[in-house]
Amino acid sequence: MKAVGRVLAGLVFRWEAVLVLLIFAAAFWSTTLSDLFLTRANLLDLTTPYIFIGLMALGLTLVVVAGEIDISIASILAVSVVVLGQVFEAGANVWVAAAVGLLVATGLGLVNGLLVGVVGLPSLAVTLGTLAAYRGLAFLINSGEGVASFPVGFTNIGSGYVWGQQVPIALLVFLGAAVALGFLLHATRFGRYLYAIGSNREAARFSGVPVTLVRVAVFGVSGLMAGIAGLVYVGFFGSTRADAADGSLLDVVTAVVLGGVDIFGGAGTILGVVLSVVLVSELRNGMQLDNLGGDTQNIVIGVLLLAAILAGNALRALQTSGLRARIARARHKEVMRPSSRTEGIT
Amino acid sequence: MNLATTRRISPHALASAAFRLRELGIFLALAIAVLFFSIRADNFMTVGNWQDIANDVALVAVLAVGQTMVVLTRNIDLSVGSIVGLTAYISSDTLAHHHGLPLVATALIAIGIGLGCGIVNGLLVAVGKIPAIIATIATLAIYRGLLFQITGGQNVLAFQLPESFLDLAAKKPLGLPLLAWIALAVALAGAAVLRWASWGRDFYAVGSNPEAARYAGIPVGRRIMTAFAISGALAGLGGFMFAARFASVDAVAGTNLEFDAVTAVVVGGVNVFGGSGTVLGAVLGALLVSTVQDGFTLMKLSEFWKMFFNGTAIVVAVTIDALITHRLQEALRRRRRAEVVAAREGEAPA
Repeated sequence: MKAVGRVLAGLVFRWEAVLVLLIFAAAFWSTTLSDLFLTRANLLDLTTPYIFIGLMALGLTLVVVAGEIDISIASILAVSVVVLGQVFEAGANVWVAAAVGLLVATGLGLVNGLLVGVVGLPSLAVTLGTLAAYRGLAFLINSGEGVASFPVGFTNIGSGYVWGQQVPIALLVFLGAAVALGFLLHATRFGRYLYAIGSNREAARFSGVPVTLVRVAVFGVSGLMAGIAGLVYVGFFGSTRADAADGSLLDVVTAVVLGGVDIFGGAGTILGVVLSVVLVSELRNGMQLDNLGGDTQNIVIGVLLLAAILAGNALRALQTSGLRARIARARHKEVMRPSSRTEGIT
Repeated sequence: MNLATTRRISPHALASAAFRLRELGIFLALAIAVLFFSIRADNFMTVGNWQDIANDVALVAVLAVGQTMVVLTRNIDLSVGSIVGLTAYISSDTLAHHHGLPLVATALIAIGIGLGCGIVNGLLVAVGKIPAIIATIATLAIYRGLLFQITGGQNVLAFQLPESFLDLAAKKPLGLPLLAWIALAVALAGAAVLRWASWGRDFYAVGSNPEAARYAGIPVGRRIMTAFAISGALAGLGGFMFAARFASVDAVAGTNLEFDAVTAVVVGGVNVFGGSGTVLGAVLGALLVSTVQDGFTLMKLSEFWKMFFNGTAIVVAVTIDALITHRLQEALRRRRRAEVVAAREGEAPA
């Protein structure tokens, strides 16, 4: 009986299951706001304006799993987008310009990575600094109206549809990226290293994990994802302004944390983040239907972010207290097993 | 003999020498900035401009004193810009509707609201165990969202405010703007707390090693709460000063001010790992930040140069600090090793 209960509890307490429930609850709420919500076109198109947020969230997921944070991603997106615009305007092929944008984004990510991994600075301070510096840089490169005359073949990335004009290409880009990063995180050595470093960096180092290299690389991946998000952003909004994605950090961080990624590192899944991107998009969409302004929406998303961490912390406290009770029982049976888990605060 | 040479300077003296060098570095940077702008920017070296700078410094310095306390405990408060906006609007809007309200009472309203916001931040971090950066990114959005709710798209404009309030920022006792005197008082009080109050000393202990502080009997959670509460209250005071200075307040007032405060603190040598730093350093940092921004404005450089400068300054300062700390630790470790070796050699013959 007890075992069955534990299995059930394990299922219910699996964060992804909670997210699916929340997605259905938000969908139900949305149907009460608009009759058009439950149409196939709307459901498929729901996430399109938020795909660039989702792409950044996927990249940030890897960084947070490794126990770090990257709050500069929206600014990296801005720089890469502006560079893309400038290169395109200088007469280059749009795909060449896009490639240059991705290269710049990856480079800026690697700068973060070098400062964190090699110089040994806290990622919080580094990316707070580069958040401002990169955003300033974007404006210094182009503070005007930006470039807006991109060929449709390119902007389709963010605003085109396939399969009977029903499925947004942006959604496919997001799902493709999710599969790729899911593979990277859950099925490669690099991914295992990220978990190892996020759980205990010193232990990982002593176990032969190339800690420095992996930490530098993960910021590069995060930068690259911001660059890809930039392509979708340009495709959706059609222009390359330096204020691109300003104010999107809250949503990105919320998507990652709400997706069940442990903010202290070492745990989290891509599936959870994909689900929470859907949930955040759904909520934003629903609040728009409810005629709430952007800043009122921010209150809700901010509270959601705090609630997600508080819930996660409470859950973890419950689990550890359960674990402690079990260890105490084990000790009672004179099976001496020392338990030690020290958590470093970085 | 080895022992004698290595013991000549105590570790403590070595560390404090390094910190003094660090503060000298800020002075040097400040001197270079002043020299540069006095050559390149018109009207930089005028009394009027320095009074402008003093007003700017005042606001940033008040925020930086609060931020110093928070960073000392190994946390960060990114919500101060939103708290400034919120309290600036509420206090000036209240004044606009009640002209007879004493200014001190208005300031207390602003400080009280800021204190409330700070306590919420503190609860989230100390009790909720949410990393400070995430908690204050969220409250940054939440407080700003509340401000939008309260304003409903309205502004408070100068003509709605009583004369006494508008005169406040124009007053210059002894040639120094009143706001700068307020900031000076706040900085002195902050420095006194960090130097002499036992709970102020605790901030250093909490930031150096939270676990050790806990074992030493310091109520770590309560100290973190206190730091955030002070930061919030000072941001509230900053909001009042903002309203007095600019006399027109809208829903985006104070946006990005948190960057000025963090830059001031980090450039001022407060260690982002917590546990070391002074109010003097933070105020010098605020002076540097405001001077550079003023210079940029006079040179007609865009807002974005300031942003670029702030971000770069944070990264450079943190890098320099990390390198200094690393060198210092290495030096101390080498010395300890030498001492141990020397002690063993001394024992061996016996």
